[in-house]
Amino acid sequence: MNLDELKKLKEKAQRQVALREGNKKYRVVFSMGTSGIAAGAREIMTTMLDEIDKRGIENVEVAVTGEIGLVDAEPVIRIEERSGEKVTYAKVNADAARKIVSEHLQKGKVVDGLAVGKVKQKEAERLK
Amino acid sequence: MFDQLSLNILDIGMNSLAAGATVLRITVIENAEHDWLVIRIRDNGHGMDQKTLREILARNASTKAGRKKPIGLGLALLRQTSEMCGGAFHVHSAPGEGTGVTASMRASHVDRPPLGDLNATIFALCAANPTVDIQLNCESNGEKFHFSSQEGKYHEPRRTQEAQREGTAAGRAA
Ligand SMILES: Nc1ncnc2c1ncn2[C@@H]1O[C@H](COP(=O)(O)OP(=O)(O)O)[C@@H](O)[C@H]1O
Ligand SMILES: [Mg+2]
Repeated sequence: MNLDELKKLKEKAQRQVALREGNKKYRVVFSMGTSGIAAGAREIMTTMLDEIDKRGIENVEVAVTGEIGLVDAEPVIRIEERSGEKVTYAKVNADAARKIVSEHLQKGKVVDGLAVGKVKQKEAERLK
Repeated sequence: MFDQLSLNILDIGMNSLAAGATVLRITVIENAEHDWLVIRIRDNGHGMDQKTLREILARNASTKAGRKKPIGLGLALLRQTSEMCGGAFHVHSAPGEGTGVTASMRASHVDRPPLGDLNATIFALCAANPTVDIQLNCESNGEKFHFSSQEGKYHEPRRTQEAQREGTAAGRAA
């Protein structure tokens, strides 16, 4: 680990503060409990934030939760729209993470093949 | 479950964020000569009373609601790793004062996982809660560095900052 890398890290971290501010259209919630982390949540988060950054998307805020209630389906992320609509994505890999950014967050289109069904989603919400 | 110690650190750090910490200090000390690796995660969150802490350590209990079984894994996993690698595991906590978790291990132990991507862990913690001061202190065989996510946060835009720095340097030189 070198100082340059750390400096870049800090700048990136500061951009994250900007991502938090204001009433954004989307809120991306990462499941970051023990099971989520073990399944790769850290890399999924990094990939998504990089992609959001690269595309200059500004209508997004990020949050984490300890347990999203879908242990078998980790890594799990949930996208909450200001309108109240929620979409949960399960078993998210790096490709899926980038697709969710380019389709859902940028174009407003739910990525059908990756979103979990309503029943599982209800289950997850109940446990939140 | 974790193949990198930096993932344990992220997991333990998430406990601190959940406990409402505003300062989270991660210390990693590597000493080849004495063959130690020490990881410390200290927060100023709400802490735990002694009874709760004893119970958590004895039964790997969790206080998280909405679980079928109130079992927590995070502390247990780090404890297992450190004890397996010839080290010790210690949690110190007091209500209102915060919590400190210390895990040591033999650096050269065959089962010791690599630290892995510590940067990614720090970044994830910063992104998880950008208002918390995430600090990293590394001490590797005599070399030291310190990182704080809040350092410089309230400064002016970079140009002003640079001008100020130049001004200070000039002042010192004069
Ligand atoms: N830094 C901390 N501050 C306050 N309480 C903590 C902290 N770390 C752990 N705990 C308590 O210990 C319990 C067990 O933690 P852990 O083993 O990580 O499992 P989990 O986070 O899944 O519950 C937590 O539910 C919490 O009550
Ligand atoms: Mg935990």
